[in-house]
Amino acid sequence: MKNDFESQNMITITNDTKTSSQTGGGDTLHKEVKAEGSVFETILNENMGNHPQFGWFDTFKVDLPKIIIDKGIHIYKDTEALEKGGEFTYFHHKLVRKEDHTPPALDLSVTSLVVYEWLALLLLGLAFWKAGKHYKKNPLRAPKGFTAMIEMVIGFVKNDIVKPNIGEKLTNKLLPYFLGIFFFIITMNLLGLLPGGHAPTGNLSVTAALAITAFCMIQGVSIWQIGFKNWLKHLTGGAPIYLAPIMIPIELIGLFTKPFALTIRLFANMTAGHIIILCLLGLILYFKNIFIAPAAVGFSMFIYALELLVALLQAYIFTILTAVFVGLALGDHAEEHSTEH
Amino acid sequence: MGSISLAFAYLAAGLGAGLSVIGAALGIGKLAATALEATGRQPEASGNIRTTMIIAAALIEGVALFAVVVCLLVLLNAK
Repeated sequence: MKNDFESQNMITITNDTKTSSQTGGGDTLHKEVKAEGSVFETILNENMGNHPQFGWFDTFKVDLPKIIIDKGIHIYKDTEALEKGGEFTYFHHKLVRKEDHTPPALDLSVTSLVVYEWLALLLLGLAFWKAGKHYKKNPLRAPKGFTAMIEMVIGFVKNDIVKPNIGEKLTNKLLPYFLGIFFFIITMNLLGLLPGGHAPTGNLSVTAALAITAFCMIQGVSIWQIGFKNWLKHLTGGAPIYLAPIMIPIELIGLFTKPFALTIRLFANMTAGHIIILCLLGLILYFKNIFIAPAAVGFSMFIYALELLVALLQAYIFTILTAVFVGLALGDHAEEHSTEH
Repeated sequence: MGSISLAFAYLAAGLGAGLSVIGAALGIGKLAATALEATGRQPEASGNIRTTMIIAAALIEGVALFAVVVCLLVLLNAK
């Protein structure tokens, strides 16, 4: 991050070397980037964008494979192979067709944020493998240290998030999804707080994908538990049948606003903290004065601590809201079943 | 577009963010105040009240964040 903050000039220069190394001919691009890129936008792109390379500061840089669907599937090993292929190129950090500089139909390239997601999955896999090993070896002894922490968090998700909202009967069946989403989001959020790290949840596509799984979960469990007929009945909102023309559109919109709100909430919360830190540190560059630095750094430390809280809280909120929505979609049926037991 | 319209776009984005934050702050403040009052009256229900409060706060915050995202879009698309 240090590199990006040294000065406004520095930003455009680093930006420029990157584009010129990608495209080869740098001079015309140099002018365009300088004219076009505001500091704010450049910082946003540098720090939160999807990069075609995965790296940590300037220590190493791995060029990631490109997968493009545009009249057939094109797969390239790295940027060099992409440029050699002759059909696509990079223009202003965007992947475009070479002849007319329009974006391809579908860009499924592996980007740095995807690598961070894989990293999160790998860390989770290691953590749960370690915890699982303990239970396999000695299932009757209480766990210690790291395993105890994992057990505590799992107990929290089960008893405080899933059970009160969904009911006793379905808890064990649906618990894997909620555990998975909780730990996945928490790990991704915390990866963004590491120096040089990026939070994949600070990207709209990632949170949208998470919300789509939540949507499938809510509607799927609802249809599975109460039946398709009752699910359709829920769409009238329990109002008299002659109100159906009004109720059905409203309820249909209601189905989609829930995951949409989940998407925006997680994305905006994860992005807002980064932007505030960038703005505070940007004050130093703006005033070009060393005496503003202690205040700016102090405030950004405070925001950083706040972000740590937000990273945990947002994972909790995403999970509990999904659980609440599943409970709502089940309606009174969940309660009926739990009272029968 | 000229620089005046750009200035107005920035003004609109800043004002919009500030105004939406006023609404969210009022909502969350009122929510927290009543939740504290309820906890004071019935301390044994504090766990339930806290959970409900966090959910409601998240919903209020979500609406405010919609507004902030709209402002951010205005800011980034201003030309």
